Amino acid sequence: TLRLIYTTTAVQRKNVGASGPEKYTDAFIKKQIEEFNLGKRHLANMMGEDPETFTQEDIDRAIAYLFPSGLFDKQARPMMKHPNEVFPEQRKIQWGEDGRPFHFLFYTGKQSYYSLMHETYEKLLNVEKHQDQLIGQGLPLQKEKRNLSGSRWLTKIELEEMLLEKLSDDDYLRFIQLIQKLVALPCADIEEKYIQKFCKEVPVQLQKVLIEPLQYDERGVAFSTGEGKRKTARATAVVYDNGTGKITVNGIDILHYFPVLQDREQLLFPFQFLDRIGKHDMVCTVSGGGRSAQAGAIRLASAKALRSFVTEREVEFMRQAGLLTVDPRVKERKKPGQEGSRRKFTWKKR
Amino acid sequence: RMVPVRWSRYNPSYLEPEVNKELYQKPLEELTEEEREKVDLKAVRPIKAAPPTVSSSVFSDPMISKFTNMMMKSGNKVLARSLMSQTLEAIKRKQLEKYHKAPENEKETIECNPYVIFHQALKNCQPIIGLSNITRGGKTYQVPVPLKDNRKRFLAMKWLITECRENKHRRMLMPEKLSKELLLAYNNEGPIIKKKHVLHKMAEANRAYAHFRWW
Repeated sequence: TLRLIYTTTAVQRKNVGASGPEKYTDAFIKKQIEEFNLGKRHLANMMGEDPETFTQEDIDRAIAYLFPSGLFDKQARPMMKHPNEVFPEQRKIQWGEDGRPFHFLFYTGKQSYYSLMHETYEKLLNVEKHQDQLIGQGLPLQKEKRNLSGSRWLTKIELEEMLLEKLSDDDYLRFIQLIQKLVALPCADIEEKYIQKFCKEVPVQLQKVLIEPLQYDERGVAFSTGEGKRKTARATAVVYDNGTGKITVNGIDILHYFPVLQDREQLLFPFQFLDRIGKHDMVCTVSGGGRSAQAGAIRLASAKALRSFVTEREVEFMRQAGLLTVDPRVKERKKPGQEGSRRKFTWKKR
Repeated sequence: RMVPVRWSRYNPSYLEPEVNKELYQKPLEELTEEEREKVDLKAVRPIKAAPPTVSSSVFSDPMISKFTNMMMKSGNKVLARSLMSQTLEAIKRKQLEKYHKAPENEKETIECNPYVIFHQALKNCQPIIGLSNITRGGKTYQVPVPLKDNRKRFLAMKWLITECRENKHRRMLMPEKLSKELLLAYNNEGPIIKKKHVLHKMAEANRAYAHFRWW
């Protein structure tokens, strides 16, 4: 399991709902916004640019030019930002002059979370009622599947920012379970707008990997290169077409360089997956790492080189077989107070 | 501030790779609903790198690799792998000897493929129920409990390995002893099958406490 390491500054205070007198009043923030806008126009005037079209990037550049600072911490340098970014969002006082709280769930401690859960459950009951009505009338239930692949739920931090309240892991999980239950019902399309509030688009395949075209050497044989790495080993592979299936590593044949069967299997894995064992020749160079790391690096390099020889569909198959991802596993560091990365010192009673 | 506990270097959204070539050659129409959903999900999410022990060739088998890893001592995979291949060779030799000596009508019943023998032997060794210690009112009872698939496979392999490491003649090598045990297990004989039956009998004897289980 993975637990979060950081939280936003707005929520780190303990009792956000029951905080003391407001540090920033509404009037104060309005004044700050006015001053910011005025200052922005002055700055634009100073820099000789148009005050109407002065963006935040221009502000940052202007401040960096007028107040150069050599401080290492970027947060410590002079900055001019919109007050909404500088002063974190805070909850207004939740109770009136007589001391009575406004929200009916104030005394639960996490009023926005529980009110959210109540709302979601209400929507669920609505959907079920609608379903029952449809069944009563005998009409078929709609089953249009939402495109689950392009979206993800809000993370715990984003939900905390939305509710301005601290949540625990359990609370967050319960909320996600409830909303998944809502989505799983067939007639959930009615509450689509409500669900959209808690969805986020995942930028699917932002990096469309460019497959390089084949290059041709002097004899007219097509070849392509690829680079791979694994732990500390770095490898480059050149795959030639119309070959016999010979593989050379650092000028040495693989039978001599990799005496272990497992490494040779790894080298041949991409070729075997694409059914092209006897068709290509390969010349590779590798340095660093150990025997298994070098084999993994060459495997990645050859898979990357083979992409140019193969159709897009097969490239997708290679990716799903795990041949094209860089293995991020490295040796874990040794920690102080322990003998190794995980092993602790022998515990002695006295 | 919360700290990672049992982490992995991959983002949790990464999925496991699928190495089997045949699954990719199936056309889209033959897949069921769930498989289609899985294919859609795989097309969007990133996928972890294939581990170095796994390959798409016919010779790599997940059970055999698991068994080799369990036999391995202090990271010496080379030795474990060579012992495994020597065991499979020894099984093949013994079966071929039996095959050539047998009369014509029995020749078809003798299984020569060492992988088939290994899988069948493991399946025969797997216990169906296990015992677990539950403490009630100060006393600890051994309660019969259904086992998960992973646990069954693990127990079968563990018993095989401990059996071969301890109960052997001083000069007998591991491949020889392992091949002997595997052939006995394939025919439902031998000390490991006996151990499995003992466990089943204990579970049957403690049937009275079965209601202590709450899961």
